[in-house]
Amino acid sequence: MNKRLRIDSTLECDLLIIGSGGAGLRCAVEVLESRPQSRIIAITKGLHPQKSHTSTAQGGLAAVDPKDPADKIIYHMFDTWKGSDCTADQNVVRKICQAAWEQILWLENRGMHFSRDQTGKLSKRTFGGHTLNFGESSAYRAVFEADRTGKGIMDTCWGESLKRNISFINQAIAVELLFKDDQCVGCIVFKQKEGEFIRILSRATVLATGGSGQVYKVTTNCRQNTGDGLALILQAGLPVMDPEAVQFHPTGIVGPGILASETLRSVGGILRNKDMDAFMEHYAPKMKELAPRDLVSRAIASEIRNGKGILNPDHNVEHIWIDLRHLSDAVHEKQIPEVTGFFRKYLNLDPKEELCPVHPSNHYQMGGIPTNVFGEVQDSTQKTVFGLYAVGECASASFHGFNRLGTNSILELITMGKFAGDRILAYLKDTPEKFPEAEGDISVARFSRYLESRGGDNIGQIRDEMRTLMTESVGIFRTDEGISKAIDVLKILRHRADHTALSAKSLRMNQELVQHWELDNLLAVSMVIAQAALYRRESRGAHFREDFPERKDEFNYHTLISMEQFGTVEFGSRDIDMSIYNEGGQFYDKFDVIERKY
Amino acid sequence: MSRENPQTQVFMINLKIRRFDPDENRSWIQKYTLEASRIMRFVDLLRKINDEQDPTLAWVSSCEHGQCGTCSMKVNGKPLLACELLVENAIYYFRTDTFYIEPLNVAPVIRDLIVDFTKAYDRVDQVKPYIIKPVLPRSEGDEFPITPQELERYVNATRCINCFCCAAACISSHETFLGPNAMLNSIVRVMDPREQEKEQRLKILYGYQGVCRCHSSRACSFVCPKEIDVAHFIALAKEGRITKLKS
Repeated sequence: MNKRLRIDSTLECDLLIIGSGGAGLRCAVEVLESRPQSRIIAITKGLHPQKSHTSTAQGGLAAVDPKDPADKIIYHMFDTWKGSDCTADQNVVRKICQAAWEQILWLENRGMHFSRDQTGKLSKRTFGGHTLNFGESSAYRAVFEADRTGKGIMDTCWGESLKRNISFINQAIAVELLFKDDQCVGCIVFKQKEGEFIRILSRATVLATGGSGQVYKVTTNCRQNTGDGLALILQAGLPVMDPEAVQFHPTGIVGPGILASETLRSVGGILRNKDMDAFMEHYAPKMKELAPRDLVSRAIASEIRNGKGILNPDHNVEHIWIDLRHLSDAVHEKQIPEVTGFFRKYLNLDPKEELCPVHPSNHYQMGGIPTNVFGEVQDSTQKTVFGLYAVGECASASFHGFNRLGTNSILELITMGKFAGDRILAYLKDTPEKFPEAEGDISVARFSRYLESRGGDNIGQIRDEMRTLMTESVGIFRTDEGISKAIDVLKILRHRADHTALSAKSLRMNQELVQHWELDNLLAVSMVIAQAALYRRESRGAHFREDFPERKDEFNYHTLISMEQFGTVEFGSRDIDMSIYNEGGQFYDKFDVIERKY
Repeated sequence: MSRENPQTQVFMINLKIRRFDPDENRSWIQKYTLEASRIMRFVDLLRKINDEQDPTLAWVSSCEHGQCGTCSMKVNGKPLLACELLVENAIYYFRTDTFYIEPLNVAPVIRDLIVDFTKAYDRVDQVKPYIIKPVLPRSEGDEFPITPQELERYVNATRCINCFCCAAACISSHETFLGPNAMLNSIVRVMDPREQEKEQRLKILYGYQGVCRCHSSRACSFVCPKEIDVAHFIALAKEGRITKLKS
């Protein structure tokens, strides 16, 4: 064991938030508004909470305004259910959709700068998959802050946290959850800046670590989204749910993969192939460009496969076009300035005059740490793990099932953050204020191994090989053969990572050390994605098996997968909640296992 | 369609990077030479150095598309976001293929290009970037109405991402001035009709470390990656023209 590595000190708090994005901080503020004396510590891997991935969400926040004469909560529930390919949990769908508008007002009343209509009320726009009257026509259901809605949420939740005196520890990573008698009692944290381990004992712990987009080569995700929360859960012997449900956003900007929001299509942008054909009408005659993301992504990937793509000379990637040239100057300048700015900035082209190259980009993980409707983490027998909560993209309640609708993710952040906060308040009230001791021993050994391993490989190169592998073999189109091969290669990559020496042995702000830890996390998450994708011999939502292109009723369940040793997995399952259907109320038949056509 | 790789222009780029090792308290300039294609970004160049030449060079980024303000640094003296600078534009703008890269001088350097943003943010925290005392909505379950015309007056100031490029470019002393971005965060809440608290707000803005420290060089507006006219808002504050529309 490396002698320089030891746990230097212990901090105590009521609530520990791991990951300071929108979901984590919304939860923290909920607790502080009712119980201001709570001692809360929030850690973030990034430079500062404001740099979290939440800040990059563009388009909007779905919520049915009770004053809207046309829209109804039941329609939002139906759209979410249908969009999920009938794999969302209906109790979660109902709870979130019902709470949505109240949470919009929560943000507005605390200073979020929503865009307004002429009367001063919140503006609304349409978004893919959101409809009126069970699919009849597009719904104006998304409130937004221009094309920086996520930033509005982040700024508001961070500001409110700051106002209520949360202790932030920036540039810190959670490396090991601590348990005592089946209760989570905190976490071992590595502070990058100081190169120190600390033990944080907490009465309640919230995982809000975000997604795992860096598993794929082209992604809209931030660089720090390396599936750390999922890896932490797997390390603790707990399961992950539906990891195979990975969303690819149809329109990533060629090159960096930056998200070109659905807004471009909702304001009238048209997808065209190399023959200038507006091809979406062949794939989704009714919804066309506004069909759900997985359908549009596969349509684009199919066009490219059929030789209808265009090759970009700078990035050597095939793509299709999004045509924005016919939109008015007012639309360009008021509604989509940031997004069209990306094309100007990163490709040196003018969207008013020129076609814009886009192709599908990894975007979102629908699966994650299994929780109940209150954000309480569950084990493989669906028993609640006391003291442990998960919210945001790292968690799966499941609101999105196997495919998420645009504008539903940041809605999930703020609602689940609030629900978990409510639950934690009750938990803090009912549990004694003493702190159970727990040691924690895995993490120091793990970092010691990183510092002492020998070999000539490079962490960055192994990561790139993994990302290419996952994109090609466990991406938009999947087959038995491709996934099986990927699993074998992942084992080789993990072996190589274990035999890679660090160039510098310093502990302070040693990014290579942290990247080694992140690579281990990415490999673990890749492995469970691949194994679950292999296991599910059907197609459902974003999970598309070319060798099994149809959805099958025998797979009407959530995958649970745990992995204590790398590559050795254990499967379980969780039933899909169909309470709306089972209750047999008005419109219950809409919530049956229905066909998903747009 | 043609499947072979079409030609794209390749440049040889020299990066002279200011490095700092906290363990030995040593600072030096290291030169890296690398091949780069036309629309590679500077974050891609730094990653390429890590992957191919030197994994120890420390830098930091997050969203890599100008939304979070993590990868701010100085390139040939100009504070900017490394994720937004394309190789071809850099060559055109600076008229050279040699670039001197250094960390922002807004807080102590932790290692190489990584600055202690927690310390830099202390100045933003001081202006209270939230609503101190909210106006109650007209009725329970209502939003506070704000017309587009009213929002338009300050909406650009809300776009600030706290990348601290303006603070690095500002000619006023960092000891005494909270900085252009902190001022912007403060001004937003003075202009926001939902903020009831006046005294604290004005004390911060017109206090010892407030807008009186600004020399009107307009450097902030010149470098802002979000193209916010920061100086315009500070000028409005100096003239006292940031009261609410209705009052």
